Amino acid sequence: MAYLAPAEFVTKMVDAGESKLLMSTRDTLIRSYMAGAILALAAAFAVTVTVNTGNALVGAMLFPVGFIMLYLMGFDLLTGVFTLVPLAVLDKRPGATWGGCLRNWGLVFVGNFAGALTVAVFMAIVFTFGFSEAPNAIGERLGHIGEGRTLGYASHGAAGMLTLFIRGVMCNWMVSTGVVAAMMSTTVSGKAIGMWMPVMIFFYMGFEHSIVNMFLFPTGLMLGGKFTLMDYLIWNEIPTVLGNLVGGLTFVGATLYATHYKTGPKRKIA
Amino acid sequence: MSRCLRVTLGQHSLASTQHANQDFHGACLPSGHVLASKGIALALADGISSSPVSQVAAQTAVRAFLEDYYATSDAWSVRRAAQRVLAATNAWLHAQNMRGDARFDRDRGHVCTFSALVLKGRDLHLLHVGDARLFRLHAHALEQLSEDHRVRLSSAESYLGRALGTGPNVEIDYRTWEAERGEVYLLATDGAYAHLDAAAVHDALARHADDLDAAAAWLVARARERGSLDDATLQLLRIDELPEADAPHPQLTREGLALPPPLAPRTVFEGFTIVRELQISARSHVYLALDSDTQQQVVLKTPSTDLRDDAEALDRFVLEEWVARRIDSPHVLKAWTGDRPRSHLFVAMEYIDGQTLAQWMVDHPRPSLDSVRAIVSQLARGLQALHGREMLHQDLRPENVMIDRHGTVKLIDLGTVHVAGLAEGRHDTHTAAPPGTLQYMAPEYLLGHGGSPRADLFSLAAIAYQMLSGQLPYGLQAARVRTPRDVRGLHYVPLRPIRPELPGWLDAVLGKALHPDPAKRQGAVSEFAHDLKSPGPSFHRSRAAPLVERHPVRFWQGVALLLALTTLLLAGLRVLGR
Repeated sequence: MAYLAPAEFVTKMVDAGESKLLMSTRDTLIRSYMAGAILALAAAFAVTVTVNTGNALVGAMLFPVGFIMLYLMGFDLLTGVFTLVPLAVLDKRPGATWGGCLRNWGLVFVGNFAGALTVAVFMAIVFTFGFSEAPNAIGERLGHIGEGRTLGYASHGAAGMLTLFIRGVMCNWMVSTGVVAAMMSTTVSGKAIGMWMPVMIFFYMGFEHSIVNMFLFPTGLMLGGKFTLMDYLIWNEIPTVLGNLVGGLTFVGATLYATHYKTGPKRKIA
Repeated sequence: MSRCLRVTLGQHSLASTQHANQDFHGACLPSGHVLASKGIALALADGISSSPVSQVAAQTAVRAFLEDYYATSDAWSVRRAAQRVLAATNAWLHAQNMRGDARFDRDRGHVCTFSALVLKGRDLHLLHVGDARLFRLHAHALEQLSEDHRVRLSSAESYLGRALGTGPNVEIDYRTWEAERGEVYLLATDGAYAHLDAAAVHDALARHADDLDAAAAWLVARARERGSLDDATLQLLRIDELPEADAPHPQLTREGLALPPPLAPRTVFEGFTIVRELQISARSHVYLALDSDTQQQVVLKTPSTDLRDDAEALDRFVLEEWVARRIDSPHVLKAWTGDRPRSHLFVAMEYIDGQTLAQWMVDHPRPSLDSVRAIVSQLARGLQALHGREMLHQDLRPENVMIDRHGTVKLIDLGTVHVAGLAEGRHDTHTAAPPGTLQYMAPEYLLGHGGSPRADLFSLAAIAYQMLSGQLPYGLQAARVRTPRDVRGLHYVPLRPIRPELPGWLDAVLGKALHPDPAKRQGAVSEFAHDLKSPGPSFHRSRAAPLVERHPVRFWQGVALLLALTTLLLAGLRVLGR
């Protein structure tokens, strides 16, 4: 498997961040919409597998296919741009500003949300025969996933909020590692393997991924979950987004940038 | 196995019965790299019959064309090379006429028609003036591809409208089209073509399929039989094989060159001792090295791991040195002068001890106009050296400009240079992504219109703007252009509000060079550099900045006061009117 030296793939990360900053509004929205939709579909698939097999590990092992698909098609997730785009600003690429970075994040958030919401409506229709009967087993499961992960956190108060935030951090630590691992390899199989491992870890461990949640919770609300829209936003989505931001930026982007890009002189052990 | 260009050529000339042959013809079929860079050329000239010296003109025109065309820069396009050579020949012929009696009687001077056909790569190029004709042979007809420059006075009387040697300048028709395998072309003077038709040519080819010279001789004899009195000259060209459309360029071959391993300091590689890494990126690895023979410092550039399977990117490595060896300018990076045989793919260039312009901009956040002008004019000279050879840099950005310890500014990174002479004759189907860096790229590239020297001018002006203001001229808006409507939405933001001490004409000069429409920019980089030094009156005429720009606070205070007074007035009227 062809493998890039760290100094090479870190410049590639900065280049990728720069190109996302330079992307037109239209492209940014289309690419993030598609990314949100494909990831949502993969989440629906993983939940279906989990319900049908009764084994969450099988669902987690198969979930990364969606992630791999959207990466290979060049679509953008909020988790990925959280990690990559700030690097272009840190590296002082021409024209790169924090304002541009926020613009990109905002557009990608909107696109991802719209894409995930589209699939959420589609899946709700599929699981309920066009809202004409009660949700089937999978719909039932989707409807109640949301409760524990909103009201459950809320019942713990500040400690719940902290747990939620840390789960968001851990999630994007893993997901962005997948993005970077994909850049390390020059072959499709290498990229797929590189993304598989960290994404599987985050999904099985139940870490909070802002875009997966953009699908799970709206579907839950549509399929009779007993929580409100505000519960979802305050006790899940917003802290998750912040956790994802911190996780991607600190544990992946900034660390690799600092150690492999802005390297000090090489040390030799005598 | 790749196919290469193969043709069969036949030619014959027969003098009229009355005088010496005033026609002259010639052809050149080079081999090897000259074939790839210049192609095959056929030339035919016909001296006017009223002149006693026109055969000299015809001979000179053909000989000079065939010799000088092959001596032009191989970076030039066929059109440019051929037209330059013909302009020189025309000037010489005209000068001869101006010296002798022909000054008063054009009909007795050094005047001839001229037609040349050049086959380079897969393209045919026709250069034509006068009344010789180029035909393409079809099953039942001869298709005339050239236009006769004859002015008809009546059905019986006509005279030559355009020819070499009649004036100080001559307009030469040019057209180009893609050749097809198996086509037969016929270049002939009026003494031959007036008496021939497609059937005769097919007949000749049937009789002498393997010997086109014999076929040409047979055709000329046939024309004479049918009543031709004038000199008759005929050239036949059959295209037997054409190179593949996307074959690698023979001049830029990477065959037999292995990809270099990662190089560690102190290792010896191809006769160079690696000193240290200069830059490792996802595109290339750049090392400082010492030439083991001369102990000279050189820069070695090798492809990155990521590009090892990217044929286009690897071709650029070969191109970079090819370009650098052909440019001789103090403002363009030179190639390493040694020529040891190589077994790896890498680029060896001179080492410039200095800093990049990007670093310079960090060190000089508010530079004076003078220092910016000094850098821009040197860059313009470097670009001019490229443009003069029909090359475009295409990736001008602060990282690709070095300033050495003596303040000399040099263009580096010639890997994205577009060379007209290399690009023509190939019909690559895959369209390349816009070259270079989006932030400095002219909008026409993003619309897919391709570049011109004015696109390099845009990049140069964008750098000048950034040096002075620290910002890009259109922010990131220009990089996000996708449609012509986006381009119309680009508005130049004046420098004056950021740097009020700069002269007023500067915005006019920069705004012109940064115009989204290339046709509205200066004509050449040199013109821009000149405008920066001595702006013409048109740049001074620009109106004074409006009050809202000069004193925005006072302007809005005034507006507010006016509105307040109006409100009072209306309120007063209301009260009084009740």
